[in-house]
Amino acid sequence: MNIEWYIALSAVIFSIGAAGLLSRRSPLVMLLCLELMLNAANLALVAFSRAHGDAAGQIFALIVMAVAACEVVVGLGLIVAIYRNRLAIDIDAFTELRDGRD
Amino acid sequence: MTALLPAGLIEVAVTAPSVEYGPMLPFFVLAGGAILTLFVSLIGGDVAQRLLTPLTAVATLLAANAIFAIRLKEPDPSVLTGSLALDDLALIFDIIFASAALAVAVIAWRSKSLREVGRGEFYSLLITAVLGMTLLSSATDLVALFLSFELLSIPLYVLCASDLRRNGSLESGLKYLIIGSLASAVMLYGLAMIYGATGDTNFYEIADMLAKTPAASDPLLLVGVGLLLVGLAFKASVAPFHQWTPDVYEGAPTPVTAFMSVTTKAAVLALLVRLSAGPLAPVRDNWAIVLAVLASITIVVGNVGALRQESLKRMLAYSGVAQAGYLLVGVVVGTGLGVAALVFYMCVYVLMNLGPFAVIVARERAGAGDGLRGMRGLGREAPLLAWPMTICMIALAGLPVTGGFIGKVLLVQAAVFGDWAWLGVMIVIGSAISLGYYLRVVAAIWMPEHETASDPSAPVLAGADPAADPGAHPELIAVAVAAAALTVALGVYPEWLLDLARYAGETFIALGV
Repeated sequence: MNIEWYIALSAVIFSIGAAGLLSRRSPLVMLLCLELMLNAANLALVAFSRAHGDAAGQIFALIVMAVAACEVVVGLGLIVAIYRNRLAIDIDAFTELRDGRD
Repeated sequence: MTALLPAGLIEVAVTAPSVEYGPMLPFFVLAGGAILTLFVSLIGGDVAQRLLTPLTAVATLLAANAIFAIRLKEPDPSVLTGSLALDDLALIFDIIFASAALAVAVIAWRSKSLREVGRGEFYSLLITAVLGMTLLSSATDLVALFLSFELLSIPLYVLCASDLRRNGSLESGLKYLIIGSLASAVMLYGLAMIYGATGDTNFYEIADMLAKTPAASDPLLLVGVGLLLVGLAFKASVAPFHQWTPDVYEGAPTPVTAFMSVTTKAAVLALLVRLSAGPLAPVRDNWAIVLAVLASITIVVGNVGALRQESLKRMLAYSGVAQAGYLLVGVVVGTGLGVAALVFYMCVYVLMNLGPFAVIVARERAGAGDGLRGMRGLGREAPLLAWPMTICMIALAGLPVTGGFIGKVLLVQAAVFGDWAWLGVMIVIGSAISLGYYLRVVAAIWMPEHETASDPSAPVLAGADPAADPGAHPELIAVAVAAAALTVALGVYPEWLLDLARYAGETFIALGV
């Protein structure tokens, strides 16, 4: 097993996350895609950490997990607030703020 | 795996860092103040709610600002085993963050979103964002960089959405959250690549490592640097990563817009300056030209985008994009003079941006909305709002007798002396275009009005709050007048700030050695 495989896998996961974020319309799925991107970075960090024999990368990955949880909490909270205001949970429906309305 | 990892390397010793409580005092003050503000807001009673909570927040920010000011010129380059550097560069930016937050705390005092989301929560989140920014400007480690980047971002997502019953605010919060998190994820992947290429997370160690090896040929490192810069460009609203900026700035509650439009840019630029002196210095040839092109695109896109805007918040958002372009020139040039010009312009930009936002908040509370039409007749109605707005617009356009002029001259001078003369030309062209929209505001304020009374589409009722106050609040006038007065003062006597900016430039030069 070479480190290249881990990095290749993490790049694939990162790309899936980025593609999903750009193409999906539900904010919930977009949050999932963000998680994919962050976890791809985690995988790369842990793989590099093993390759270098340096603990910093693994600690970094742990911290990223905590931060990712915070982001999701805020994201879900916002989605609940939007639902309470009876707005459609669809990113294409958010057109109140844009250029050229006036 | 065995081929890759010799036995013994798998068990890695983790040593806990020793915490120096003295040097980290301002961070503890800010973190403690954020928690204290939340607790104070639990005290019942209207007086406690309306006065005690904001006063706790203001006291926290004042205390932090005082510590930063005392520490100035007594740098501590290595705190928390090399994770943070509290040098003059960081301290000057820290003072900018804390002062901007102070002004915003005053502007937000009687605003509607405070009633919606709760005063304690609003001020606590504001202070937490300031804490994130102060940490980011001091970060000298990839982990500290990422953590403080998120600590400044996540409170801002919540603050943007803090007008819980207004759809525009929620939309703004969600858009900012998704774009901001995308930026963080891209940046994090870049950090992982840089870590993989160098095997260390400390800025100085990375710089040492890169100075020894032929770094420019390492694709892993270059991909990492590219992704890192893209993530930062998103956050600093550098074109072509700026599309979220007008939407988010327009939808967010105006005091929040005032806060984040200046401070997030300052935080990212402080980090960019530190990165360009340390870990990114060995690969400077690879990224300097890219940033230069981005800066010139940003100047053009921001200024042209602002031309047609009717909403002043949107106009200032595009103007902020253009200003990010000007400021980026200081990083690209990468000389002591460039960094000094950047610091000077940043200080002036904070002032000349906070003034207009205070005026916009006053107009919104008077029920006139944030549109250009809401400014009509302001010169006759409320000269104490009209004059600061006029002065700040003239300063943003970079006309003489204001700090904005001195700042732009310094940036152009730095660009020319640093062999980036064409960037200086871009700044001048951008300023020329910007007169087109800044002077429109001045014209709206002072021109005699004929059609306003008979204009049924004037948004007098559109954004009106049923509980709108007819007169402007004195604290808003105070902030606007103070910002405008300081802008002019810096145009006439720039020396004292220039001295500080030179210190920052010297710190930057010393970092590179």
